[in-house]
Amino acid sequence: MEIIAALANGFIELFKAGAATFISWVTGIIPLVVVLMTAVSSIIKLIGEDRVYSVAQTATKYTITRYTIVPILAVIFLANPMCYTFGRFVEEKYKPAFYDSTVSFVHPVTGLFPHANGGELFVYMGIATGISNLGLPLGDLAVRYFLVGIVVILLRGVVTEKIYAAMKK
Amino acid sequence: MYKSVTIQRGKAGWGGPLTITPTDTCNKILCVTGGGIHPVAQKIAEMTGGVPVDGFSTGAPDEEVMVAVVDCGGTARCGVYPKKKIFTVNLTAVGKSGPLAQYITESIYVSDVKENCITFADEETAAAAAAKAQMQAAEPKTKTQARKELAAMNAGKKKNIVTRIGIGVGAVVNKFYQAGRETIDMVIKNILPFMAFVSMILGIISASGIGNVIAATLSPLASTLPGMIGISIVCALPFISPVLGPGAVIAQVVGSLLGVEIGLGHIPPQYALPALFAINAQVGADFVPVGLSLGEAEPETIELGVPAVLYSRLITGPAAVLIAYAFSMGLYA
Repeated sequence: MEIIAALANGFIELFKAGAATFISWVTGIIPLVVVLMTAVSSIIKLIGEDRVYSVAQTATKYTITRYTIVPILAVIFLANPMCYTFGRFVEEKYKPAFYDSTVSFVHPVTGLFPHANGGELFVYMGIATGISNLGLPLGDLAVRYFLVGIVVILLRGVVTEKIYAAMKK
Repeated sequence: MYKSVTIQRGKAGWGGPLTITPTDTCNKILCVTGGGIHPVAQKIAEMTGGVPVDGFSTGAPDEEVMVAVVDCGGTARCGVYPKKKIFTVNLTAVGKSGPLAQYITESIYVSDVKENCITFADEETAAAAAAKAQMQAAEPKTKTQARKELAAMNAGKKKNIVTRIGIGVGAVVNKFYQAGRETIDMVIKNILPFMAFVSMILGIISASGIGNVIAATLSPLASTLPGMIGISIVCALPFISPVLGPGAVIAQVVGSLLGVEIGLGHIPPQYALPALFAINAQVGADFVPVGLSLGEAEPETIELGVPAVLYSRLITGPAAVLIAYAFSMGLYA
């Protein structure tokens, strides 16, 4: 009898650690994310997607803006996965590069704008939780993640554009 | 000679049954399951007389796609095709979920489909399906007609300023409310289930002692620059990256594991930034054909675009880690 009870206790213990993690996430992450997501998506609804279309269209002409401003606007305004529809503003030969650039931004954006990829928050949030546990502020990491994201999507756009052009020959 | 088939949901599935009938113009079975033609897509093709198409290598114009076969874990693909009003067969047992959940309905989507879920439709159900499709096509028209009539009725009246302010405020408040509703939806449908699943895994890992093994193997790897470059190269290998991609589940789980190690002090906090890029070199590699078709790319572009993106990651994956490493100077110093 005692063995069974000990086994049962051990079994429950196995999940208590998980329960503690769950509750710390629910109370520590969800409230801020909910308020932030609501605020940002209301602002975006008020501005309206249509208004960024013309900006996006002009910005596709130049290499630098095509792989920075256009993906950023697409991800923030349309969110994953509808952001890729901005590809229609881009010339056919740049579409793979544009996709690569846009998809690479759907995680760096989540530190500051979690609404843009609410279903995949934990790439950033998982690591960020560790930083919070150390008592360090998250702002610095979120901003740097966003900025490095911009550099990386530009690089991915340019490299993929070249590779695609070479393959097409 | 084309035949109609009925596709039932699997044991753990949702939606359906779908009855699909190929026509001369719309007969492609688009298979978006990480490359190759999945047996389920093959079987649908054999039974209906349609043409199976590998979405990863060729793609097809939307209007020719009769049905899309996907293996989506619940984020994007399962909603993209229903949004385009294309019948969607999901091999994974996923219900209405993801950011496009509103488009996933029982009349257009069926999940957990196995080969034995597909049967020939008898004449009656085929006729019923055709009638239903006609009804669906007719429905939005009457709605717009009704709206037009309403607009015509309102056109005669000029609104006074109070009414206009009222309508304006109402519209703004409604947008806030809608934003709140979408956020809570997202929390319930995506964020909470993920938290439940990962905290269960993390709990078992830490309570059972596997955590120490991970700390001993993963932490040293993720706390040196060469280690992280190594991780990014593995994630970016063209035959691995599409497998690691779906729903970013693997990147999210690894992110959570690294978070635990950072919290325990096994990995220095300034490595958080390069780690974010190292574990995610595969981002979207599973989704290239779908993402390109959302951007209205031609099938030929998709054909070459998929390998172009995958090869490019071998260069830009490690490069991203290096850039992030450079930018992490002074972080939490």
